[in-house]
Amino acid sequence: MTTGPLSKSMPLTTKLSHTAVFWIGFCVVMAVLIVAPLVLPEYWRRFLTEILIWGLLAMSSDILIGYTGMVSFGHSAFFGLGMYGAAAALLIVSPPNLWLAILFGLGGAAGAALFVAYFSTRLRDIYFAITTLIFSQIFYVIIFTWTEVTGGENGLIFSRPHFTIPFLYDTRFSTATLHWFVLAVVAGSYVLLRRIMQSPFGMVLQSIRENEARTRAIGYPVERYKIVAVMLSGLFAGLAGVLYAVQNQFAAAEFVFFTTSGDTVIFNVMGGIGTLVGPIVGAGFFQLIRELLSRIFGDQFPYLIPLGVIFIVMIIFLPQGLLGFARRWLNR
Amino acid sequence: MSGEAVNDVRSPANGRTAASVPVLKTELLTVRFGGLAALSKVNFEVKRDEVCAIIGPNGAGKSTFFNCLTGVLKPTSGRILFDGEDITGLPSNTISQKGIARSYQITNIMPNASALENVRIAAQSRRHAWNMISHHSAFPNINERAEAALRSVGLLDKADQLAANLSHGEQRNLEIGIALATEPTLLCLDEPTAGMSTAETHDTLQLVRRIAKNLTILIVEHDMQVVMELCHRITVLHYGEILADGTPEEIQRNSKVQEVYLKT
Repeated sequence: MTTGPLSKSMPLTTKLSHTAVFWIGFCVVMAVLIVAPLVLPEYWRRFLTEILIWGLLAMSSDILIGYTGMVSFGHSAFFGLGMYGAAAALLIVSPPNLWLAILFGLGGAAGAALFVAYFSTRLRDIYFAITTLIFSQIFYVIIFTWTEVTGGENGLIFSRPHFTIPFLYDTRFSTATLHWFVLAVVAGSYVLLRRIMQSPFGMVLQSIRENEARTRAIGYPVERYKIVAVMLSGLFAGLAGVLYAVQNQFAAAEFVFFTTSGDTVIFNVMGGIGTLVGPIVGAGFFQLIRELLSRIFGDQFPYLIPLGVIFIVMIIFLPQGLLGFARRWLNR
Repeated sequence: MSGEAVNDVRSPANGRTAASVPVLKTELLTVRFGGLAALSKVNFEVKRDEVCAIIGPNGAGKSTFFNCLTGVLKPTSGRILFDGEDITGLPSNTISQKGIARSYQITNIMPNASALENVRIAAQSRRHAWNMISHHSAFPNINERAEAALRSVGLLDKADQLAANLSHGEQRNLEIGIALATEPTLLCLDEPTAGMSTAETHDTLQLVRRIAKNLTILIVEHDMQVVMELCHRITVLHYGEILADGTPEEIQRNSKVQEVYLKT
């Protein structure tokens, strides 16, 4: 692809082997995740599916945190709107339709993302973070208080849609098939997002992270790129919300509360920002430790205290996160 | 503070540029920071294919002038015309797209990207910038443009090195390479030799001379010696006003300029 002397310093063979190694690794992880529900007991099957969903949410926010350099505390809003959008589709249309739920969820998240993006991308750094946090809290308050529509405190309960391919196929989700469906969505999202982050557009986002003023000076309308980045991020966060709604058959206001956004940021930092897979690993790590702590010490145990200590230790000794060391390699 | 602004000898024609269409023109350009006039009523012109310099002691308003041209600052009053088009107050990305590129006095690159990535992102700003599907290295025209920019600043053999690992002089040249990769018609260099050793300064001046063959260049410089042999025309700024304007020889002979430079 490259011409001239550059192809000497970057021979095709190493490029190929890098790609090969990457996809072999990808296939191995996929194989493990595909086989997992066949060997895991019911509880852990659901647990793994949930990790993937949180991972998708964390991955979506990595687009902003890791690639564009904007820390968003608004992802609970996108996640929640995805969730309530799916709920709307599943409650209104009978029989509940999976694809319609996804469509509604994405629509809800896109609306919220457009609103948040339009106002908050004018600001930078901590001001951006605070603004997104405020917007997500506005959505929380609306959802929490508008009981007639959103169920308020009690949330909404609905039945799980079938997996359908129109006119061809219709089946109930089992925990295993739901896991595979979620896995397919999350893996597909990963491949797509990785490609987008390696595209010219993705390079502009990383350029904004590295040096915003210079990016503008070489001719990029930075605000427009940021708006699209927030929209993209919000869409995938909404997708995670839809999956969560389908998995758990309820939508609750507590997920729109800003602690969800906080968890998302923590997954990112633990797993390694700017890697896309890191946040999934971070989500898994976080959930596993929480699960272990409550298994050992019981449900009432204030698990956040030891988790906080672990988090601090990680920040000190592993500031790039679990996968941060592979950052350049993963993005090549 | 200092005396009245005198527009000294405006040398006619400047020799080689017969067409002499001004690429850049400022009319009564004024910038005030509170009560302080960083620039007052500056009328300035750059003709096509010319190499001009703006010199002046520290605080003369040189960088302010540059910041106005490139959209970082909005002038308080006055107009900036580029190719006859009013670009006053446009954002810097629009100005870049119109064809004015700049390098910075303080090195302003992307340290965590390779030299090639630094110029490729600049080359990419003119084409395929919104493409979300293809790999960024899959565009031969962008790669060629980026390589050409690296080659012209002599950094092609360091293409894969992280910008942070380049020497100061190389980073300064990469700075120019980034500007070149945007294919400008007017290149503004803000103290391109700042902080360089004598040898590096010499190399960079050679480099500027090389790229000046097919570009209009405007240099802001603190050190008069640097621009003497390089430029067709020199403008001296002092306390935000034009003190003198002419060929290097005229400027050297000018008594007011000598006074200002001897004082500081």
